[in-house]
Amino acid sequence: MSRLANPEALASLRLKARKNRDAKPQCISVCGGTGCRAAKASGCIKALKDSLARHHLSDTVELRETGCYGLCERGPIVVVSPREYCYFGVKASDADEIVELSVIAAQPIERLMVKDGHGASASSLDKIPFYQGQHRLLLDANTQIDPRSIDDYIAIGGYAALERALFHMRPEEIVDCVTRSGLRGRGGGGFSTGRKWETTRNAPGDVKYVLVNADEGDPGAYMDRSLLEGNPHSILEGLIIGAYAIGAQQGYIYVRQEYPLAVQNTLRAIERARDYGLLGHDILGSGFNFDVEVHRGAGAFVSGESSALIAAIEGRVGQPRSKYIHSSVSGLWERPSCLNNVETWANIRHIINNGADWFANIGTKASTGTKVFSLVGKIQNSGLVEIPMGMPLRKVVYDIGGGLPGNKHLKAVQTGGPSGGFLPESMLDLPVDFDGLWNAGSMMGSGGMIVMDEDSCMVDAARFYVDFLAHESCGQCLPCREGLREMLHILNRIVTGDGREGDIELLEEICDTLEATALCALGTSAPNPVRSAIKHFRSEFETHIREKRCPSLACMSLIHYSIDGELCNGCSVCRKNCPPNAILGEPKKPHRIDQGLCVKCGNCFTLCPPKIRAISKRDGNVPATEQSISMSPRAV
Amino acid sequence: MPSLQKLPGPDVDVVVVDDEETIREGCRMALESEGLRIEAAANGTLGLELLARVKPRVALLDLRMPGIAGIDVLKRLREIDPRIVPIVITGYASVQNAVDSMKLGAFEFLTKPFETTQLLDTVQRGIHHWGTYAPAPHLSVKRKAEPTKSLKSQTDALLKSLEAAEEYAELGGTPSGLADEIRVLEKQASYHARQLGIVQKKGKALHDFVADLHDVDAIVTRHQSKRSGLIQILLDVQNKKKWLPSHMLMWTSRRLGIPMGRILEVATFYEAFSLEPQGRHEVQVCTGTACHVRHAPELSATISALLGIQPGETDSELKFTYKQVHCLGCCALAPVVKVDDAYYGNPSMKELKQIFENCNEDAPSAGEN
Repeated sequence: MSRLANPEALASLRLKARKNRDAKPQCISVCGGTGCRAAKASGCIKALKDSLARHHLSDTVELRETGCYGLCERGPIVVVSPREYCYFGVKASDADEIVELSVIAAQPIERLMVKDGHGASASSLDKIPFYQGQHRLLLDANTQIDPRSIDDYIAIGGYAALERALFHMRPEEIVDCVTRSGLRGRGGGGFSTGRKWETTRNAPGDVKYVLVNADEGDPGAYMDRSLLEGNPHSILEGLIIGAYAIGAQQGYIYVRQEYPLAVQNTLRAIERARDYGLLGHDILGSGFNFDVEVHRGAGAFVSGESSALIAAIEGRVGQPRSKYIHSSVSGLWERPSCLNNVETWANIRHIINNGADWFANIGTKASTGTKVFSLVGKIQNSGLVEIPMGMPLRKVVYDIGGGLPGNKHLKAVQTGGPSGGFLPESMLDLPVDFDGLWNAGSMMGSGGMIVMDEDSCMVDAARFYVDFLAHESCGQCLPCREGLREMLHILNRIVTGDGREGDIELLEEICDTLEATALCALGTSAPNPVRSAIKHFRSEFETHIREKRCPSLACMSLIHYSIDGELCNGCSVCRKNCPPNAILGEPKKPHRIDQGLCVKCGNCFTLCPPKIRAISKRDGNVPATEQSISMSPRAV
Repeated sequence: MPSLQKLPGPDVDVVVVDDEETIREGCRMALESEGLRIEAAANGTLGLELLARVKPRVALLDLRMPGIAGIDVLKRLREIDPRIVPIVITGYASVQNAVDSMKLGAFEFLTKPFETTQLLDTVQRGIHHWGTYAPAPHLSVKRKAEPTKSLKSQTDALLKSLEAAEEYAELGGTPSGLADEIRVLEKQASYHARQLGIVQKKGKALHDFVADLHDVDAIVTRHQSKRSGLIQILLDVQNKKKWLPSHMLMWTSRRLGIPMGRILEVATFYEAFSLEPQGRHEVQVCTGTACHVRHAPELSATISALLGIQPGETDSELKFTYKQVHCLGCCALAPVVKVDDAYYGNPSMKELKQIFENCNEDAPSAGEN
């Protein structure tokens, strides 16, 4: 690998890289994202490699491990080009069939395909409803390249925006272009990216920093992970352009160490970019110097807050400070620092390549471009979706997401992570953009979109977020530390059947205090989940408090499992699969549950054969007749 | 604590050789309060003189002193009186020296700063071993000609003497006197064999300890000894050891010049660090929102029941550590369990059992790096 001395060298490398790709028109792409890896994609890759070798096709057919395809729940995903047969839930044992049928005989394999909108097998990705409604500006490249190969990225047009920025645009023009594009921060705040850049650019001082926030701590969100794992160069390219526009020579990528593959792929991308002279001294012969370091976050949600993140990069405890001076003026080591989220940086190259107006035409007037959401929870097509801003929530859930499994009734959609709120079914026609969500009492956040059905308890969900935040509170300011602890105490009492009259009002009062007095955004936005849960689902709170029961049968302390002796045929499936051995009974005779030993894992309830359905989940206390029989010798 | 009973033998129980007055005086106060007779010397030269003059039961030797160091005094102690039980005093920085001194026949070592109870305990054990710790006097002539370098060679010498004594008996030596000699020799030999085992075990522990410090050195150097690299350094230590042992934190503190308090502040703030030993296998259940609404609490109850430990606990055999974590970023597969480096989406109880069974002692994953 040699340094690219000038733009011409980059152009000729691009031609060469394309030629290399074209030399093997047939390609089997396998998703190597963490989701698919969890579904044993590595085994598939090995099996496909062996199969290609057995068929003497290793030299003519490319086997490419790509980034995340988005439809993680149906993984591992395999796409056979050039016909684009796309297969889901592939197993290692399918490898030979794929090679023999789809590669050699160019035939699709129906059983591995998913249905299109009309019930037929979808012949390519864009025929699948999940992908049809999306606008995959950022995620599309994930599926086309091997994230570890810089040549792949360059072949699909990578670093063209950098070249354009360095040689055909002045820094202030770039800032202006980003401002006019209307791009707003994708990490949650929704502040204008261009204006942020401008502040740092205009701040006094020669030493400035650009920072990437990849401390994706929101539970239920993994967009940044997928981008860093699947296309790290797109973030690097945006970062270098930003550094040039702002006047920074050094950048930092702060990424959670819980994402080992993201750390690995980012480090590799930085190394490759240095090899090519796209990072370091005199980039592409432009005279611009810039380099990047990776800092691994050690697992603290609050460190995703800008001033806390900066403290963490400095090697200190990642606690926020009060921001009387913005970090864009005095940030890392008290120098002007521009911090943007992963997704924000990934958008930059598209804005530079296609222009501000083109970008501003996507989405709505106040929220331009696309947004990646992690559409998860009780939803058919669980995964990453990228939609133009302003799409109605209903379309996202039902058209792209395919609705809820088991035809369950949608109760709420939660957006914005622990700082966001719950949107009830009545608000499904809300346009998904910054202001729409904000006005509805929630927020965009970094892009978690968690669907909850009738089996989800809203009191428990509110308790979940407060538990999370109380755990993650850095403890510096009293309202957040003590307020959240008290809220958790109250909510715990409600979900265990000890709620009191006046608890709801007390919760609301603490919410008011937190909003008004907490030091950082973690504290001031912490009341959102509780407030919106009370606002839309007050009756659920009241049922818990007054009737001591959970109407959704979700709160573990307020339910019990019971076996109907009339229905149970003693098949023993439940007994054999009970982790604490709490089910007693002889084969072929009705079983019963020792309530004293039961840990309420629900295995028996799930496993009881549908034809029998002897086990039920019931609310309220255990009837006296079923009280603990754990005094009897325990069968271990 | 009951005072030591008066034993026949030297008039002085302990000689302390240390250049630090506080240590000398501290030892004097502590030992005299137990009724022991103590003399002290402020350097190696004076120490050798004093030892030769009073021939105490126990010699407390500081390894680091200007002029003649403790290790040299230790080497010459055998010539003065092999019955004296040497105990060395060392700081953290000279762990390797401690290993060397054990090889040279030190009975025990104390690391500065030490507690009074620790000092008394060690000295009392030393006093009890006076005369029996070293080989019998009549063998010392032979050893003078051929000074023993380590316990191992001392043991060898004993065994050889034993053989020689048996040969002598076969040649018709005085049976009754010889029987006593052999008994003493046998006792000595078995004692040395035992000590050798202890020293080897201690040597291994010390060796591991020193290796840990070298690991810290390498990691700190890799991060250019930058103080701002503290979190990254601790992450590397954590990945290497799966937890942060206190000696490694102390060494990090020393290498970076960051006070221990600040290191502990960082180490206790972030989730990634553990200050207690972790199991060889780590089981994490994700409690992110997506997993929560898809029955992560039930899954967690299942895992607890299977492993017999609650979240946050490590089993007594240090096999499994079970943790609940906030979002593993695999939301589409919810609920997710991560065992070591592998992710599992919604595993059944049967699958979990299988996964845990597969976590046998074969090659536990040593983390990344």
